[in-house]
Amino acid sequence: MSAPKQDQLKTLEQSRQRLVQLTHSLASLITSLNQSDPLPPWNSLQSQASIISKNLLSVSDHLSDNRELLTSLVAYPGPEYPSRTQANTLEQLLRTKLDPRVDDWVARGRKAGASALEDKGTLSEADLAELWDWAPVEANEEARQRNWGGNFTLEEREAGVQNVVTGLRRVLEDEGDESSEEEEGEEDEMEVVGVRRQSTGAGFEFDIAPASAHQKPVEPVVPLDGILRYMTTGVSPGNR
Amino acid sequence: MSENFSLPLRPLVEKPERPDSLPVEIAQINAQYGSFRDVTEESLRAKIEADKNKDPWSEEDDGEKELSDEDTAERLDQLYKKRAAITQFALQAHMETSFALDFISLLLSKNTPVQAEMSMSPYLKQVAPLGSLNAEVIHPPPKTEAAVNDTKSVARGWRLQNFNSAANKLLDSATRLESAVESETKYWNEVLAVKAKGWKVCRLPRERQALGVQYGFLEATPMFRDRGLAALRRTNDGSLLLDKGLIPLKARTVRVRVKSHGQLTGCSKRRPTTEDADSTESRILQARDTVYEEELFHELVREARILGSQGVTTRQNLVRFPVSEEQEVLLDLVDDGHELLADDEPTSHEHDPVADALAHSVRILLAYAHRQNLRRRTQPPPPLSPKRRQTPEYQLLRPVMAYLQHSSHVRWLESLLNDVNQVLKSAGLTSDFTCTPFSSLNFKRFNSSVPKVEALVQEFLLPYESTFSGKLVCPQSSFRTKVRTNVVTPPFGTHYDISVNVPQYPEIRPPNRIGLQDEAAWVLTHFVLLDILTAICQVKATGDKKKEGLLTWQAAYPHDGELMAVSSTGQCRKMKVSLSRHELTVDVYAIREIDAFRRPAATKTSTIRSHTWKLGDAAGQPSLEDFVAEVSKP
Amino acid sequence: MHELLLFASVPAHQHHELLQQLAGLTAMQPRHRLERRVIYKAYRKPGLINTRVGASQDLQGHDMQRLNKMLNGGMFYTQVVGPVSEADFGAQSPSEDPDAPMSGTDAEEGSGNHLYNYENQPWKLEFRDIPEAGTRSAVTSRLMASASLPKGDISTPMNAWGYSYVTEYAVEGDAFILNDIVIFLHRVLHYPTEQESHAPRRQLPPFQQMSPLERTGSYVLQASITVQDGGNQEMMRTASQHLFGLREQLKSAVRLEQADRLSLDTRAK
Repeated sequence: MSAPKQDQLKTLEQSRQRLVQLTHSLASLITSLNQSDPLPPWNSLQSQASIISKNLLSVSDHLSDNRELLTSLVAYPGPEYPSRTQANTLEQLLRTKLDPRVDDWVARGRKAGASALEDKGTLSEADLAELWDWAPVEANEEARQRNWGGNFTLEEREAGVQNVVTGLRRVLEDEGDESSEEEEGEEDEMEVVGVRRQSTGAGFEFDIAPASAHQKPVEPVVPLDGILRYMTTGVSPGNR
Repeated sequence: MSENFSLPLRPLVEKPERPDSLPVEIAQINAQYGSFRDVTEESLRAKIEADKNKDPWSEEDDGEKELSDEDTAERLDQLYKKRAAITQFALQAHMETSFALDFISLLLSKNTPVQAEMSMSPYLKQVAPLGSLNAEVIHPPPKTEAAVNDTKSVARGWRLQNFNSAANKLLDSATRLESAVESETKYWNEVLAVKAKGWKVCRLPRERQALGVQYGFLEATPMFRDRGLAALRRTNDGSLLLDKGLIPLKARTVRVRVKSHGQLTGCSKRRPTTEDADSTESRILQARDTVYEEELFHELVREARILGSQGVTTRQNLVRFPVSEEQEVLLDLVDDGHELLADDEPTSHEHDPVADALAHSVRILLAYAHRQNLRRRTQPPPPLSPKRRQTPEYQLLRPVMAYLQHSSHVRWLESLLNDVNQVLKSAGLTSDFTCTPFSSLNFKRFNSSVPKVEALVQEFLLPYESTFSGKLVCPQSSFRTKVRTNVVTPPFGTHYDISVNVPQYPEIRPPNRIGLQDEAAWVLTHFVLLDILTAICQVKATGDKKKEGLLTWQAAYPHDGELMAVSSTGQCRKMKVSLSRHELTVDVYAIREIDAFRRPAATKTSTIRSHTWKLGDAAGQPSLEDFVAEVSKP
Repeated sequence: MHELLLFASVPAHQHHELLQQLAGLTAMQPRHRLERRVIYKAYRKPGLINTRVGASQDLQGHDMQRLNKMLNGGMFYTQVVGPVSEADFGAQSPSEDPDAPMSGTDAEEGSGNHLYNYENQPWKLEFRDIPEAGTRSAVTSRLMASASLPKGDISTPMNAWGYSYVTEYAVEGDAFILNDIVIFLHRVLHYPTEQESHAPRRQLPPFQQMSPLERTGSYVLQASITVQDGGNQEMMRTASQHLFGLREQLKSAVRLEQADRLSLDTRAK
């Protein structure tokens, strides 16, 4: 039995910090739920959920990384703690027993885990372990072969981007292809009504298209009022 | 794509006895990891810990499908229930993490009080002094194998179930995405097909995220112009739906019928039904045709209302205008699929071509009016003033009416002159006339500033004019008649301008602008009569030996057709000639004396001779000349 | 009459596309316009003006009255505008033979040798007041009037009215009509020689020698509505609303704005 050492305290401090983040992200979700009727925009809701999940993961990683320390650490009230008046709070703080609903949840996991092994037709424990070792690597590899985002799929690019029927007059840029920037073969005929994808993802927006790179953009050197003044009085711009 | 991508997403396990009851939240968190590599037993446990207050049985995924059937109120109710559930979970999770945070903060407050205090809850700060929790590192007994196995089992169970759930979600999403792609592809292909046919596809002005097809007519009255746009909607399976809003779905056509003597004698053709009536293309065409037909009828009625003085009548769905006394034209807007009522059935098809021609004409005239609108619209506008610019009624009915009325008049006059000619011919008299119908139409005066088609139509908007000219019986005599029809500017209607050259009666001038057929007929036959009288008077003058000693006729009362002849013996004869389009009659009387006013005495003697040449008489009759020679014998 | 306007500067590279967009918006083909514009400046206080323009001039009395009224208000710059065609540029004058019958500007077209006859150049006097100050509305609004001038020589009548020649330039552009609005996308072209001159040219240089005032070749987009009675507040409001509607429709392509008031100052100091 010994008091925690400095580096152990540091680990505990890290736990505290991660819990602070988690608490904050949960509080912010609660606030935004309370402030909107019926719900916050789905994208903000989703990003909050993702933050919570990240923080949760960070806490969980930390706990498992420091399992050895944390399982060998015991906490007990010091003499300064007003045990007589604040026993309930203490109990709450030091509680290790699972909440009944969580207990039940664990029980269901136990049952599922056991029955998975009992069934002869399925994978054995070792096979499962092997699969689970193999799968993440393999899935990751498969995922890496894809371009997530971009205008063309891998298959389309292999078959030649120029063969893809997009139905659009403008030329979709293929980010995956470095040489694409050299081909500036935009069609002469311009659509009066342009179509572009809204960045928020809510469908298409049709607009009178802003100026496109038809010619090299050169901004006028004589301001509008200079031209109007010349047209009105014949005073040459820059000659006033 | 799915064929060479065969990574199994679902582990091969027995179906769980209960339906997958994993809370949505956990599944979502799982899915967001991006890779399953990071999922470890420990992290799962940690999550289990964190989520332990969430109620894993509270909701099931399959509730959503039923929602579509529920009405909005129920869905809203459902939404608020779920919102409450989310809030509750969040509150509980927050509470649990707060306890954990309080615990570790209090624990650390012994060593780093300043930092630790910051993350303590106000309540804890109140009840527990800083540093009042101690910690010690001990050497706990190793976990029993049973406990380790139990943990493994629990983790395995949930891991299996979570994988299962994640796999299901991925596959469901893939399926959904696939069907969405399929339906989008289908939709866009159909849109492209519409565009490829040459239709203008654009965004809808009031619904910026929807596509529409423009099939209407830009130059139509706003009411119809704005109807020329239909949304191209996507149904759930991706097929294209032409959404015309409030426009009636029925195709309608302006029908033209001709009624002669109270009987329907002609009807314009119905629009041929397309074979593929359900294709988008034919639905667009039908919508375009219908909006054109409805505009056409609307404009016909508008124009008809200002033509009341010219005999045009309108009823709710019928425009009627007279062509001649026995003929009228009916225009109405009918559903394409309508069944003919018994009394709607034409008794003959004699005037079908006329009805068809009229139907085409009014449509061409509407197209012309559209072009005129474009012309007007693109001219520099007059200054803005409170007076509103009104679109004048289009000329649709008027040119058509004028044309029909005019040709009816021309045909009448032609037949009148033919009849008279026939009658004269049977009496051995020669006369001739030529008819130049629609002599006013001049397709050569096209000027380059107006497109050809417009110039062509323009010709039909001017007053119509036809000319008749001919020789009468005497070689010096001739006549000329102009028939003019004008329904656009006054004087409305058809008028005859007759000019004659009868040297014997230079002082006689026909009236100007004769409006009535009867009057015109009378004037014309009257001049022929006068000419015949002249011819009779000139019989003697030919100086033929054979005719020596014959009486010489002189016009006594030419306008009554009366001639007189006095023989050397003082015997007096009177000849009365009368002419109509049906017959020429000559009566000869003997008169005893002539009163002071050279009027035949009241006591007439009986008729000596009389002859009538009738229309359609067979040849072989004595000629007028012979007859006159006969009655001129002393 | 009143004129309400909005302006925008259109860089050269946007011109082609904007033409297409305007054609789409107004559902019409552009109407090409080419104009000579001559600037005149009043050199004496308005007062008794004896307009002896010449017996051959066929100005109607009504127009003459309007002109007098227009020109007597104060000392102003004013413009004389004459429509020309591209063929008029670089075209020969008809022979100087005084006995030769005057031919129309395009009468010789059939011979393949286009002539530009200054004597037949139609002109319009376009008077514009300085835009109204302090209007809360975000459009340029000014009093305007125009009247036909005699064909051919305008120096004599303009001098008689107390106006002296300042300069001359050409305007080239395309006009569109959108209901009450005239949209004119145009630019100013300079004549090649900058030598001093005191009267409008009697002959035009070849069109290729004309150079844009704004040397990057940018255009000016002008949207205008005329209102018969500037005192009719409702009409003026309607006109502004129409212009704002257009501004909104074009906002992703160009920014139509009120002009700087002083740049349209026609007062002669």
